[in-house]
Amino acid sequence: MTHLGHYPEGSRHLLMGNEAIVRGALEAGVRMAAGYPGTPSSEIIENLAAISKDPSLHLYVEWSVNEKVALEVASSASFAGLKTMAVMKQPGLNVAADYLLHLSGSGVRGAMVLVSADDPGALSSVNEGETRHYAKLMEIPLLEPGDFQEAKDMTRWAFELSDAIRNVVLVRTVTRLSHASGTVIMGRVPENDKQAFFKHDGFIIDPNEGVVMSPPVEYKHGEQHRKLKQAESLFENSPFNTYTGPDTPELLIITSSICSLYSREAVHMLGLESRVGILKIGTTYPLPRQLMKKHMAACDRIFFVEEVLPFLEEEVKIIAAECAADIGVKTFFGKKNGSLPMVGEMNPDKVIAALSKIMDTAMPQRDAAYAARAGAVAFGGSPHREATFCPGCPHRASFFTLNTALSMDNRNGFVCGDIGCYSMGVLPAGFSTLKTLHAMGSGTGVASGFGKLSKFGMDQPVLSVCGDSTFFHSAMPPLVNAIHNSSDMTLVVLDNSGTAMTGFQPHPGIERDAMGDTAATIDIPAVCRAMGAEVRVCDPFDLHHSRETLLELIGRKGVSVLVLKQGCALSPEKKSSRRYDMRVDETICAGESCGCNRMCTRVFACPGLVWDKEKTKARIDDVTCAGCGFCADICPRGAIVKKEVA
Amino acid sequence: MPILGSTELFDDVHKKDLCVDCGACVGLCPYFVSHNGKIARLFPCTLPQGRCFAHCPKTEVDLNRLSTWMFGSEYDLSALGAVTDIRKAKAGPAMTDRGMFQNGGTVSALLTLGFRSGRITAAALTSRKGLTPEPVLAESEEAVLACSGSKYMASPTLSTVMKESASGSTRRMAVVGTACQMTALAQMRMNPLEREDFRDPVALSIGLFCTWALDTRKLKHLLKDHMDLDSIVSMDVPPPPAQVMTFNTSSGTVDIPLSDIRPLIPKGCGICPDMTAEFADVSVGALEGEPGWNTLIVRTARGAEWVEDAAAQGFLILEAMPEASLANLKTGALGKKKKALLRAKEDNCLNVAPEAGRSALVIDPERVESLLT
Amino acid sequence: MNAVTLNVDPYNLIITGVGGQGNVMTSRAVGNMLSQLGLHVTIGETFGASQRGGSVMSHLRISKTASWSPQIPLGGAHMIVSMEPTETLRVLKDYGHPGVRVITNTRPFYPVGVISGQLSYPKDEEIRAWITELSEKAWFLNATEQAVALGNPVLGNVIMAGALAGTGELPLERGIFEAIMTTRFSGEKLRMNMDAYDFGVAHVAG
Repeated sequence: MTHLGHYPEGSRHLLMGNEAIVRGALEAGVRMAAGYPGTPSSEIIENLAAISKDPSLHLYVEWSVNEKVALEVASSASFAGLKTMAVMKQPGLNVAADYLLHLSGSGVRGAMVLVSADDPGALSSVNEGETRHYAKLMEIPLLEPGDFQEAKDMTRWAFELSDAIRNVVLVRTVTRLSHASGTVIMGRVPENDKQAFFKHDGFIIDPNEGVVMSPPVEYKHGEQHRKLKQAESLFENSPFNTYTGPDTPELLIITSSICSLYSREAVHMLGLESRVGILKIGTTYPLPRQLMKKHMAACDRIFFVEEVLPFLEEEVKIIAAECAADIGVKTFFGKKNGSLPMVGEMNPDKVIAALSKIMDTAMPQRDAAYAARAGAVAFGGSPHREATFCPGCPHRASFFTLNTALSMDNRNGFVCGDIGCYSMGVLPAGFSTLKTLHAMGSGTGVASGFGKLSKFGMDQPVLSVCGDSTFFHSAMPPLVNAIHNSSDMTLVVLDNSGTAMTGFQPHPGIERDAMGDTAATIDIPAVCRAMGAEVRVCDPFDLHHSRETLLELIGRKGVSVLVLKQGCALSPEKKSSRRYDMRVDETICAGESCGCNRMCTRVFACPGLVWDKEKTKARIDDVTCAGCGFCADICPRGAIVKKEVA
Repeated sequence: MPILGSTELFDDVHKKDLCVDCGACVGLCPYFVSHNGKIARLFPCTLPQGRCFAHCPKTEVDLNRLSTWMFGSEYDLSALGAVTDIRKAKAGPAMTDRGMFQNGGTVSALLTLGFRSGRITAAALTSRKGLTPEPVLAESEEAVLACSGSKYMASPTLSTVMKESASGSTRRMAVVGTACQMTALAQMRMNPLEREDFRDPVALSIGLFCTWALDTRKLKHLLKDHMDLDSIVSMDVPPPPAQVMTFNTSSGTVDIPLSDIRPLIPKGCGICPDMTAEFADVSVGALEGEPGWNTLIVRTARGAEWVEDAAAQGFLILEAMPEASLANLKTGALGKKKKALLRAKEDNCLNVAPEAGRSALVIDPERVESLLT
Repeated sequence: MNAVTLNVDPYNLIITGVGGQGNVMTSRAVGNMLSQLGLHVTIGETFGASQRGGSVMSHLRISKTASWSPQIPLGGAHMIVSMEPTETLRVLKDYGHPGVRVITNTRPFYPVGVISGQLSYPKDEEIRAWITELSEKAWFLNATEQAVALGNPVLGNVIMAGALAGTGELPLERGIFEAIMTTRFSGEKLRMNMDAYDFGVAHVAG
């Protein structure tokens, strides 16, 4: 089968931004790639993993246990002279940041690129963290592709830059680039069979053969700075910084990343091509000073279009201040003066609105009567689609169990959560069971602290949840912490056998690795027992057993772990199979006279179980039902009947 | 007064900590359950009216309406409620093979007659596992005996009755419970929501005298350092001046001072004016000073017929109630009424003006005043 | 390339539906067909958390000159292809205008709120009337039902792609579709896909 690595040089393909990044890395001759799944970055490692067995590509690809380890793993290949890449979403960069500060101080040998994907507007995240400040903090160069062709070309060039300055190069992408698709013309994928060898017995500070480390700090830090200056001078003539517009525009838009397309759209929509210039920056840090100076000298009014934080705005303003004697005083528009919102993602409409105001031009108006009518129709005619767990999802069952157990326990117990499909436990879909929601593994860390508050009179049961992948990623240290510090808490591991939210990437509990090879598995209950926790394992589809077990555990002192193990309903193994044929016995279902107030459809609300308004009885939707059998235990009359599929 | 739903029940009773775990809201629907001596609401239910609210003895109970329905007479705040007969009673010769009883064995005798005569096919009773009270549906004389002995923990006994009633079961039941449970049961038997599918499964309600109950969880917490909870054989409160509660365990007897026990009484018991379970067919309690005997109050025709037959067939021995004991009983019962009404007034639970919210108790204000002054 | 013409440039196409219905697959297939003609195609997609039973939308910008923003400006759709009737209404609210054209699959996919009885779902006739009122031209077909008849509900996407081709709004060529499908399927599966495509074309043309 032909794949990304095989597309011939010069051919045109419709590629997703993440695929373009993969192709760019292949064209650079990447040998190793490591990452941890996270929307919108996951498809990069996934695509590399899918073609990793192709012998012509010489690739090693892994899903690492977390982003810090991914960065460490990826850097090893660099130390051994190979081209290498680490990939993560922005919150993962926070996890990796500790190592990144060391790595940027020590420098690299083989070219190394770190791809970090931001999610402005938090379309698939619980925050809109910003990668770009890390470039400044870590003192490494930052590239921001502005379209799909650039996603490929700049990734490839990032390796060249890394080679030139012997340090990590950061590439920032965003959801609207990573997950959008556009036309890309392929370059050449080189032949390469370079051997890995780690030279380590040279003079201690020799960058090629010495010890890889950041000390002696003053010397190494100085080298790092020199390299950064070198990058800046390379950026002065970079083809990734482009200007379109008149020689002396009335307004200069300075923009980067996907916002450059929004800016172009806005200028086009308002017909301002002859009055407004767009300086699209691809080399965002360090900004090429001379280039910026040249463009600012030609225009006194400057408008920054970027997401999330006003990073370009602040960097450019520093240059403007320092060059004020040469270029004069400028008027700035952007996030700081409120022309664009400080939060949320950008889109063409926000930029159009801001630009029309700044330029005092009329906005193209929508037919007001049409818009009002369409709004009214949609208001009454498109019932809201609330996010929910899939039919047959073990999380819905687990949260039902958790929620009802805590109600029965009747001491105002609560659950601390973190990141995964199960984050929806904060919503009615999860019976609003989660009461804190933070970073990967944080639920357990927070619970470890809550579990010490009995000293201050708190007698509420404390629980946390984490997924199986999250357990390995970052829930183990807080669990150790809780045990060592005699906290009173129960960790519920929602083990659905895969990194389900991002597309079933393997993790250390799964018996295959990213490249599809058989892998050693780490047993979660055994790990917890070895740590010293009281451990139980239940099937979340067995309501009564799970609930009794949980009630027992939350009645105990100390740290306990309940592993609720049941595969994700969408997993390749389960997707088209059903354990039970479900049906509602209409002679038993008493409908509205039951007194149950439709607990099955109103509260449990699995999409596979619907309320038949005409018959006023519950009904199984055969197309949707995944046959998990759980709802049979919810009906007080036993009207929902399950039959094992032969 | 209007019958409302579980949201109001939750607000009026649970949030005000008045729930006494009687079980009247359990077994009717999937929302209320009892766990470890406490009633829990699993999820909010949006129905505007519910049997849960209608049955609950701590939502706005109109005692006059209940009394009129059950006895044909007004609720007059008299010491013992509606009474047709009061006797001292104990198990008769027909019960001699049935073992020892903590007091007179009157309840066991009435139930045994029920089973033998076919008047009942089941009895809703209370057993316990360690200190956790467990509702039991006894379907034989033997099963009845397994539940004998006093329990002081508030218990969701009525959940079995509610389940039977809601499921359309055809069993005929005797129900044994405390005052709050008899009040709730009587409210249930009125079919307050006028449901067409309603069937009253109760053949006889037997109320137990009760001065207070104990919060199961608090009791466990208090006792766990003094004894192995699973080793408790029986428990009792000996008459004054003992001032202790006695726990007989398989490894000996432990006395706990009543001053440690009293804080474990649920708040809801504090506003209960009913010592002798006034809304039962018959009520049974200890007879002060005569450990082998019970006090038996007959309140309804159904109760009278049952008791007469029990005596005629030798299940029960009846004697006249000693005047002094009766006077003491009335004093005690009136004392509880006064204390409860004062507390209810203080806590703003009695005869609340409609615009100011909902009461727990509604009683003719003139009668309340004359009792309290 | 020069032979290819577009009614408008960029042509803005929205493909919408509910998470899990195959939106991404359809937009990719249509995008690939157009890209192979030398057109610049940009597809903006929402997926991730919104996949779990939520509304999903793909924005396709089709141009002879450049890559456009992966988000279409408000009121800027030329064509809406919808896998779910009430999703059509949702998209019209933001991206519709009197000149928009619409192809709608009439098979409802009920939201949880409707399943649980808390929200109501409009009647088929109502939805048709609204969509007709809010568009210059509207086509309705029960693609899901037809797909089930052809052997697999997922073919509904192919039927809708065929219907889009049948409108003649975009230079979609059967041969290119067949070539793309041939790289993925063969035998019976390939035939089922082509039958679905042809059904879509015929339904709209007829």
